[in-house]
Amino acid sequence: MNAPRPYPGDVAPDTADAEFWRACRERRFLVFRCGECGRAVWPAGGCPGHGMAPMAWEPASGLGRLRTWTVVHQRYATSFDDPPPNVALVELDEGPLVHAAVVGAGLLEVGMRVQVDFQEAAPEVVIPVFRPVRGPGDTLGA
Amino acid sequence: MTDARTATIVGLGMSPQGRRLGISPRELRRQAIDAALADAGIGRELVDTCICFGVQPEDLRYAGLSPRASFALNSGGASPALSVVVAAGLIATGQADRVLSVYGEAFTGAAPRLEPNHGVAGRSDIGGYSYGYPYLYGLVGPGAVYAMAARRYMEVHGATSEDLAAVAVVERAYGSVRPGAVGYGRPITVADHQASRMIVDPLRLLDCSRPTDGGVAIVITSAERAADCAGSPVAVLGAGCGHNIANWWDGTMDERLGAAPDAARRAYAEAGVGPEDISVAQLYAPFTIATLMQLEEYGFCGEGEAPAFVRDGHTGPAGKLPTNTGGGQHSGFYATGFTPLSEGVLQVRGQAPTNQVPDAELCLVSGSGGNGGVHGSWAHVSLVLGRPR
Repeated sequence: MNAPRPYPGDVAPDTADAEFWRACRERRFLVFRCGECGRAVWPAGGCPGHGMAPMAWEPASGLGRLRTWTVVHQRYATSFDDPPPNVALVELDEGPLVHAAVVGAGLLEVGMRVQVDFQEAAPEVVIPVFRPVRGPGDTLGA
Repeated sequence: MTDARTATIVGLGMSPQGRRLGISPRELRRQAIDAALADAGIGRELVDTCICFGVQPEDLRYAGLSPRASFALNSGGASPALSVVVAAGLIATGQADRVLSVYGEAFTGAAPRLEPNHGVAGRSDIGGYSYGYPYLYGLVGPGAVYAMAARRYMEVHGATSEDLAAVAVVERAYGSVRPGAVGYGRPITVADHQASRMIVDPLRLLDCSRPTDGGVAIVITSAERAADCAGSPVAVLGAGCGHNIANWWDGTMDERLGAAPDAARRAYAEAGVGPEDISVAQLYAPFTIATLMQLEEYGFCGEGEAPAFVRDGHTGPAGKLPTNTGGGQHSGFYATGFTPLSEGVLQVRGQAPTNQVPDAELCLVSGSGGNGGVHGSWAHVSLVLGRPR
């Protein structure tokens, strides 16, 4: 039997990301942006040019492109089993790279356009996932 | 490029290496320490600096050591090569004369299973097999990093799983003839690789190394003091550090292992050599894709050309760059960064028990590991080892 899946606070108990996870509960996707140069990062961290001081959470498009992906067949973690989970590296249109599952795709392809969606892992625990964008203007999961 | 203060490896000591040896990590380290000191021909009282790794405790009392300084490095598989860089600095500035760097782990027993703690006080799922947020989706462990790199590499360069298999076949051929190697007597074929089960897509079982028990220690001193040691000296002609957090910032982390541009360039420049001058390479490559990527990052071939380089036999015993000649981490033993480093020392000395490269003047050694705060962001260290000039 599977163990329950981990929650954001288990894997990165970081208060700097609290606002991001609050926004996920409202189905809004944020990036952490530098007020000096506009560079966006995810999760919360310092701008490589200007440090932490000018950074703030801001709304993002939730759109991106699949850079690469894997399917974890080996059962390293007891929480994930059937089917083996896929995890992708998504390059957001705003710039940052984000690791997340891709749902609703038969075949994962490097370069495919994806858009954020949200999954309720438990009451009040909402995590972002990505879905393929099937055509221009498609706003799946919005 | 060398002078009286050039860091020189004068002692190499190794405990048995293998699966389920039934020897404690501390005892493995002691055996390696004593073997390294005997190899160097120096008394233990002369060791003034000890470097250990990660969460390993200092074994000064157990090993009977009395250094002036003792500390741990925590860059995973980069740490052994990093300890050489640190030792070189301490020796160059006169802070140390004889540095002992020691590793030893016993992974005997079942692999740990990762379960979420759901906010239990004092516990975190970070570290060990987990790497932060990617674990939310089931992505844990270093294999997944290499898997993502492999998928990207295959997509960008049109490489295939058979290209990864070619790396595994070469490495296991080396291990199959090395007495004491975990893969001794067990060569594989491409068909074996293709039939092995998927671990982290696209990496199959035979793309992956497995942990082994074992201890390794080296003694590092100056070129000047090396003359007073019994061991066959190996000079650190060049060294360079890099970190692929830089490739996270520029969005190319899934295409880089961190050797390029900083680590490789600096190591070559310090040694005053280029990739064409290297006679043998010992690469930190726990997964097959790491060998392909490093062959390119170190300039042994162009981008996308590593599969053909391997297929044409250039990393094999008769090739222009014999690579991981003791069976590497797949088929030799897995002592993190000491797998490539120890084999590099043996090759330059001309003491490799099998597949000694004739006139191995210059050996490239790499190490990578640690965690810069995101899954797959690790340090990379390059060394160019050679005979004292």
